[in-house]
Formats: sequence, C-alpha cells, structure tokens
Amino acid sequence: MTLHRFTFRAMAADNEVQVHSGGARLAEAAAARAIAEVKRIEAKYSRYLPESVVSRINGAAGEGPVGIDRETHGLLVFAGACHEQSAGAFDATSGVLRRAWCFESARVPGEAELAPLLALIGWARVELTENTVRLPERGMELDFGGFGKEYAVDRAALALRESGAESALVNLAGDLAIIGAQPDGSPWRVGLRHPRRDAMLLATLPVTSGGVATSGDYERFIEVDGVRHCHILDPRTGQSVRSFQSVTVHAGSCLVAGSAATIAMLKGEEEGLAWLGMLGLSHLCVRADGELVDRFAAG
Amino acid sequence: MKLAAWALAAAALCLAACTTVAPYQRGYLAREDMALDANPGFAKAIEKTFAAKEAASGGASVGGGGCGCN
Amino acid sequence: MAAIDALMKAALALPILVVPAKASAAEVGEVGITLLGYKERGLMKVTEPVLWGRAEFLDAWEVRASAAVDIITGASPQLVTNAGGKPVQSISGASINDRRNTGDVRLTRRFGDFSLSASRALSKEKDYHSKSFGLEARWDLNQRNTTLVAGYGASNDRVLSSDDASLHQRRDTREYLFGVTQLLSPTALVQSTLSVSRGRGWYNDPYKLTFTFFADGPPILMADRRPDHRDSYAWLTRYRRHFPEAHGTLQVDYRYYRDDWGIRAHTLEVAWQHALDERWAVRPAFRYYTQDAADFYSPTVPRPQPAILASDQRLGSWGGVSPSLRIIAKLEGGVTVEGTVGYVHNARNLHLGGSSSEAFETLRAVYGIVGISRPF
Repeated sequence: MTLHRFTFRAMAADNEVQVHSGGARLAEAAAARAIAEVKRIEAKYSRYLPESVVSRINGAAGEGPVGIDRETHGLLVFAGACHEQSAGAFDATSGVLRRAWCFESARVPGEAELAPLLALIGWARVELTENTVRLPERGMELDFGGFGKEYAVDRAALALRESGAESALVNLAGDLAIIGAQPDGSPWRVGLRHPRRDAMLLATLPVTSGGVATSGDYERFIEVDGVRHCHILDPRTGQSVRSFQSVTVHAGSCLVAGSAATIAMLKGEEEGLAWLGMLGLSHLCVRADGELVDRFAAG
Repeated sequence: MKLAAWALAAAALCLAACTTVAPYQRGYLAREDMALDANPGFAKAIEKTFAAKEAASGGASVGGGGCGCN
Repeated sequence: MAAIDALMKAALALPILVVPAKASAAEVGEVGITLLGYKERGLMKVTEPVLWGRAEFLDAWEVRASAAVDIITGASPQLVTNAGGKPVQSISGASINDRRNTGDVRLTRRFGDFSLSASRALSKEKDYHSKSFGLEARWDLNQRNTTLVAGYGASNDRVLSSDDASLHQRRDTREYLFGVTQLLSPTALVQSTLSVSRGRGWYNDPYKLTFTFFADGPPILMADRRPDHRDSYAWLTRYRRHFPEAHGTLQVDYRYYRDDWGIRAHTLEVAWQHALDERWAVRPAFRYYTQDAADFYSPTVPRPQPAILASDQRLGSWGGVSPSLRIIAKLEGGVTVEGTVGYVHNARNLHLGGSSSEAFETLRAVYGIVGISRPF
C-alpha cells in the first residue's frame, strides 16, 4: 500500500485527491474518475459559464420554467431543506447581493443599494417541481455556491469508492471527504488552517470517514474602518455577518458538514453553537475574539 | 474445573499482553464481518441444524432454552 | 423531524456517499426474516422461518426478540437392531410430523461501561416444553479494549411423548457463563467463553429402542435409559481478523465440549468473508466436528443387561464435515439479503483419534438458508 497524491485545479482553487493503493495505475484511474467528476459538476453549476444549468435558470428568471434533471432537483431540494432548517438564514437566492458587495474595493454598500436586491431574495418564491424550476422575477438568481463544491467533494469520494478505493481523501480547497481509515488503521489527520495566520495550523483533526467542511470570514473580505466584512451575507439584511472567524464541522457527508457550518456562520456565535449542538455533529469553531471552541470527537 | 482455570489464565494473559486499540482505530473492528454474532436469524438456524444431530451444544450465551430435537 | 435528520434525508436523496450519523435517531434497530430448509437424504425435512428484530430505545435500552416455527416432516430412526447380523438403525415408527414454536426476548440496559441483560425463552412442541430465562452482565474496561461477561441461566423443561400419554417428566438445567472479549489490534479481536451446565431430570428418549438378538438365548428389547443428570462444559473461542488489502475477514470459531456422560467433542469452523465490492460479499466456510461416544452408548444390549444404555447414534463416536457458501448483498437503504447453502456429511471414519462407532450410519444432508434484513 502506497499513498498516491494527485493535485489539480478546479473551481478556482488548488485541490487534491489522495489514495492508498497497491498499484499506481489503480490509484491513477480512481483519481482521474474523481477529478473528472469535480470538473463535470463545476461545468454544470458554475455561474460563470453561460452554458451551465445555473446560467440557464437565472437567464430565464421572470420567464417560463426551465427543465432540470434529477441531480439538480436533488440539490435544490437540499437547498430547500437548509432554508427550512435554518429558519431562512440559508437562502440559495441570496447571490444577488454580490451586485452590491464587491470585495475588490473597500466599500460597504448602503441601504438604498441593498433594498432592491433584498426584494429579489426569497427561496419561498422559487417554483420547484420534480422536473422544472422557475424564478418568478427578472433579476432573481440561484446560486449553488453554498453547496455545489461540497456536493462535488462527496461525488468525487463516491467515484473513488466505486473505483475500489477503501482508504482515500478528496480535498477541494479545504472542504473534504474521507473514505476509510488509513491502511494501518489510523485516521487521516486533517490539518485546519488558522483563520488569521496563513501559514499556521489551527488544529489537526483525526477523521476516518465522512466529510469535513469549514466556513469562515477569511476567504474573501474587506476591512472598512477596522471592521471586517466577510463574504458571508445575511439574506435577510444584506449585511455581512458578524460571526465566528471560522466554523469546521464533521458530518456523514461533506454536503451536510458544509451546510451545517455555513448555517452556523449565518446564525452568529451563540445561536450558531446551539445549532451545532442540536445537530449533534462534531465541530471546532474560532470565535470572533479568537477563542477556540473545540467539540471535535474523533471519527 | 481445569477448563475454567485455563480460560481464566488465557483471559489474564490477554489483559496483560494486549496492546491498546484507540477508539479512532476501530474502524475495521466495527465492520459487520468482524462481528462475533452475525445475522441472528442465520445463527439460530445453523445452530439448531447441527445441535439436532450432535451431542455437543452450548456456547456463547445462556438462557436460550432447549428442544426435544428428536 | 430533527434538523440533522432533515439535512441527512435531503443529502441521502442525492447520489453521494453519506455515512449515517453516529448515535442519531436515524438507525435504531433492524428486523429480519430467515428461512431454513434442511433435507436429510430419504429421512427428514425441516423448514423453519425465523423472524427477528432488534431495537434501541431511550438511549440506554435495547430489546432483541425472535420467533420461529419449526416444521419437521419425515421419519426418525427409532430402533437399533442386530436382527440382520450387524446392528443398524431401522425406521419402524410412524412418520414424524412435528411442529415446534419458539420465541425469545432479551432486554438490555446499559449503565456506562456496564450493562445488564435479562432474557426469556419459550419453546413448545407436542412432546417437549421448555421455559428458560437468563441474566447476563457485561463490563467494558481498559477503554473498551476488554469486555468481561458473566451469565446465569435456568431452563425448566417437560418431556412428554406422543406414544405414551402417561409420560410427563421434568428436566431442569442451570447454566453459568464466563467470557472475555479482547481487541488484539485495529484489525483483530478474540472472544473466549466458558459455559457450564448442570442438568437434572429425565434424559431418556421415549422413542428410542434397542432390540438385540443373541445366538444362544431370547432377544432383549430395551428402552432408551440414560443417567438422570448431565453436567457439561463448553469452551468457545472465536477469532476475527480483517485483512484490508485482501478485502476479507477471517472468522475462526473453536469449541471444546465435554460432559459427565463421557462425551468429548471438538467443533472447528473456519470462514473467509470476502468483499467483492461495496455491494457483494461471499463467505465460504468449512466446519469440522468430532465426538467421542457416551460411556453408556452401545448399539447392542450386552449381557447382563445394564441399567443405562442408549443406542442413539447421536451419542456414538463419529465425525462430520460441513462446507458451506454464503452470499451477501447490501441493497439500497441498508437492506441486506443473504443466502447460504451447506452440505453435511457425518461418518464414523471422520472421527478424530481413537475408535469410532461401527454402527454409525453415514448421514448426508443439505441445507439452505435465505434471509433479508433491514434497519429502521
């Protein structure tokens, strides 16, 4: 058994697949399948690609319903479950706020700017059927950003498993899925990046299966008058959330871990911790003041 | 009671000599094919099949009850 | 529905791998049904459906239960006679058409590293009734690397006969059990259990007779007569080892049995469960059994006629091999479908060491078991 590592670019990030395998060619074949799966999902759900499913749905906003396949339907049902369970904090139509929030320039949008965008947000207005989806108003947008990458992680993990891998890892820019303990029976050691110090590890987590995802305020942000405004935006106010520096969650799949982490960020520190406690998922959070909350159990 | 002494000695040896397996190292041990009692329906069916023909019986549990097995 | 269950459910609807959340309410038990078919060449057929289930509740409780109906049809050897020269079994009685209903339930309560179980089992045939109960304590120590178990069981049975309405006898058994389970490595574990049984009461088989002819005197017909007690030990050791690179698990069970009737028996089963892929697994297994005869076993009645004697070949010296093959499929939603076919070959020349019973008649049988189970 040798550990084979494969790095690749996708979703504007550096990603990695690691496979324990008896043969290099077996590992290569498994990794190739996983990487192809990530690229397929990127092409299908990227809002930057005009041919993508997301672009077609958004392009038809205010017009008729757009046909969707089972996979897309499943993802939208998942987005709906997140919306419902988070009492509206998670909203797959909140991407329109990006029109006001430009993280390249240090400027916080005003209420007048946000108001018309907030009017375009509302998961409840999305008309979803088994085979179609329709956005009722021109300008509304669906955004798979909150779960598309995590889904790709899970799909890549499944591709590895189906290729026969019993011990492997998929890491898409810090969101990952793990299948099986390492050959000696030990867990994988997942290093978490420190939310404030780039080159430093915050913690190393032992994981043998399932998904680990992190949501944080460090990925894209602007600082204005000493206040950090991160890319996680509250769909109800349009404002950047005041919350943890980072939330890392371990769940049965990366998709569930990612949505749990994002919703915890959206809920803010106290409510977020209560939410994670209620879910019963292992988690590790860094509060806004830098205090570490470690409720991570090996598994 | 020679047997009991043997069993106890084996148990004591195990307690003393075995390395500790940490909870996170138990992924393989939790596999279904590692279970001591697999599918209960199968276990009962097989045990009965052989017990009806053989003089020996008994094993891993008590209070299971008997049968005429003619 | 709890939030985690709602998210898991939505995630499970997608074509991805989702590991069930630990200790969540998602999986609290399983139910299954198993069907056994057994056919002994020319002699007897047994069919048995077993319905079983297991459920956890209120955090620290678990209940297990099963119910089964055996339907036995065919004929059973009743007489051993040397009328033709050598002693042989002969089927003289009417054919059997028996039905046995059994059920058991077991309740377990965990207290941290300690757990207590109580069990109750009932079994009823037209000529045999059994009621038993058991108590078992388990103790996890050494960070759950070691588990100790101690148990006590009692069984109160009644022996009746379809041929003799006046037969109504007791058989009472007490059982004691001590065991240890030890994790040996991240891929291996072993369990060793000693059970001691002390039985008092009626052990005679009301259907068995020995009919012996002599060259120089009248023949003797003797009913089956056995001691009125039976104390036995069974020492069972089970070993499991997983080989990740080979995608398989070695399963070895060995039992040593001895009782105060003079019977010594060894049972060894070796199986290899091989995972073909995520869904399919095969499990070839081989079982070997050998036993020494009871002190009072004899296919002929000697002179002078002894007080105890049994010609039932189950008490003789013989051995048996049984290869079997199981196929296991994991389907959507945790449903497991399994099927086993096995062959049984018991013969006097398969006996290990010493002399075997000349009168033992070779037995060949096939059995098949199918089962389906699902979590809920």
